[in-house]
Amino acid sequence: MPRILRATAAWRISIWTTLAFAAGTALAFYIVYLFVAQGIQDHSDSWLKGEAQVLAQVSANTPRDRIYNRIIGEVAELAARELPDERNKQGQKLNSVFFLEDDPGSGGSPLWIGPGSADTFLSAIHGIHLIPGIPKSLTVNGYPTAFRLVAQPENNRTIYLGLSTRGNLRLLHIMTRRLFLLWGGTVLLGFLISYASAYRTLLRVERITETVGRIGSKDLGERLPEPANSDEISRLAKTFNRMLDRIQSSVIELRTVTDAVAHDMKSPITSIRGTLESTLSSEPDEHWRDSIGEAIEGLDRLLYLLNTTLDVAEGQAGALSLDRTAVDLSAVVKQLVDLYQPAMAERHHELALDAESRVVVDADLSLLHRVISNLLENELAHLPAGCRIAIRLRSHEGSAELIIEDNGPGFPPEIISRAFERFVKGKDSQGHGLGLAFVDTVVQAHGGVVTISDRPEGGAVVTLSLPALQVV
Amino acid sequence: MRLLVIEDDQAIQGFLRRALVEAGYQVDTTSNAKAGELKALEGIHDAFIVDLGLPDMDGLDLIARCRAQGSQVPVLILSARRSVDERVRGLEQGGDDYLTKPFALAELLARLRNLLRRTSTPQKESVRLHVADLELDLLRHEARRGDQILQLTPQEFSLLEYLCRNAGRVVTRTMILDHVWRMRIDPATNVVDVHIYRLRSKVDSNAIPPLIHTIRGVGYVLKHA
Repeated sequence: MPRILRATAAWRISIWTTLAFAAGTALAFYIVYLFVAQGIQDHSDSWLKGEAQVLAQVSANTPRDRIYNRIIGEVAELAARELPDERNKQGQKLNSVFFLEDDPGSGGSPLWIGPGSADTFLSAIHGIHLIPGIPKSLTVNGYPTAFRLVAQPENNRTIYLGLSTRGNLRLLHIMTRRLFLLWGGTVLLGFLISYASAYRTLLRVERITETVGRIGSKDLGERLPEPANSDEISRLAKTFNRMLDRIQSSVIELRTVTDAVAHDMKSPITSIRGTLESTLSSEPDEHWRDSIGEAIEGLDRLLYLLNTTLDVAEGQAGALSLDRTAVDLSAVVKQLVDLYQPAMAERHHELALDAESRVVVDADLSLLHRVISNLLENELAHLPAGCRIAIRLRSHEGSAELIIEDNGPGFPPEIISRAFERFVKGKDSQGHGLGLAFVDTVVQAHGGVVTISDRPEGGAVVTLSLPALQVV
Repeated sequence: MRLLVIEDDQAIQGFLRRALVEAGYQVDTTSNAKAGELKALEGIHDAFIVDLGLPDMDGLDLIARCRAQGSQVPVLILSARRSVDERVRGLEQGGDDYLTKPFALAELLARLRNLLRRTSTPQKESVRLHVADLELDLLRHEARRGDQILQLTPQEFSLLEYLCRNAGRVVTRTMILDHVWRMRIDPATNVVDVHIYRLRSKVDSNAIPPLIHTIRGVGYVLKHA
């Protein structure tokens, strides 16, 4: 992709899609989290309630003798063992359950099984309002995690059973981490999928843009591929193609008309010119001879225009018949430079030729003469007096490359992209705008390429490359 | 010399007849291939001028039919197409010639002379050309005007030689490019004229009566004034 990522529509679309998707999934994951947290708490609360009832019953049925404390203590211990083994990182068993039997009437110390001392817990318990049989959270000084606590009245005593939320919190913590990772992965996957699909879709638009750009500047005959389905982009391609059909048919119609007109004008011009020329030889009056000569020169300019129009038309219609032979391009260029040298010198141009010897191409000699003379004509016609023109000929990677450079004003910017079209010329140009169209047509018919550009330091460059023949 | 012009465009036929008569030929004209074939087979013409685009038959077919019936008369073909197809090129090698429309009368006359000369007995090739006091030695590539040797480049010598060979007859720029540079190009600028100016400045120095004349609208002629 030539442009930077952030400037593409695919990037913007996928970013917004991903943001929406991330928010949605985050909400869903949070709801799942809440349900699970509630579920875990309900689970431990129902255990607490059950165990507290069991302990209350045991306490009621057990006579209050010496071994009462031991029996209750063991039952409480047994209950604690039902919980999954909870150990800290060092492997020590964590005291996550406590049991407290408070008997305010007896005046003795309460029965306590659990970590630390009963007093800290008692004072914490007395600080909250408990409804019997309903578990509630309890924060105890010196314990970082809260406890869930249930109270069970038994005669005039109260049995308290507490369970640390540490295990639950750890479970939730692990779950949160996993959910978070899962969420991150989902969002990333979502981003990739949405980017890929947006990119693929927009790539089709990009291809349409490229193709239409190319068609606009070069070949009106090319068409966009039309996919079988009929989504928006296929319809865009189809619409473009219908539009191109219409443009092409009007262009062809226009060309056919100009070509027909040009062709039909040849016969009358031939007879007018012939008549003038035969009159010229028999006319004794010099004044008349001058006028007739001027008329013939005017006709010749018109003919030049007509002929080149027709040549380009023939070439573009693929009707240019090539009489190909092995041509030594260096000899041809040298010959033309010799021909044009005096005219160049008259305009004070400096014409330098630097040609490799024996650069052979398979070409129509007379068309090649006309192509190169056209380019030299351009130099003569468009350069102000006293310029330097450098002509170089090289064979380079199987092609013959002819480069004509000058230090003149260069191509007018308004024509540089369309200089090979018919009748395109600079606004100060005296020509017809056919020379380069002709050059391009002929070179293309030979399987070559012509390019024009401006040199950064000023002046124009025309590069003509033709497939070279291997010299044996 | 008697010519047969087979051309359907009346205006072109008209000026061809006038110009050819003026150039000293006897001229017959027809507008279609059928009548043309009949006249051609009379065997009284020295050359045919045939338009390719005749209404009832292709000009090339007409020539083929004449050839098949034993006619050996040279043909100058007039073609309206700029790029000339292989069949016409083939005819050129067979001794006939072609001209693309529109053409300069001067060129038509020059080609016609060429065709007619080819069929008559070849003249002995001279090694010296004379026009007034201008003399060209083709072997030594030396040109003199009176007793003065002209300093000419090889290119200028070829150009002067061509003008001398056609002394008294007008040659066009296209003809000069075709014969001196061997190129069929059609420049819109004054490339050929600059060569002529340079040659003229060497051949026609001020004192002597000029030999190279410009015929405006047509071309140049080398002649004794």
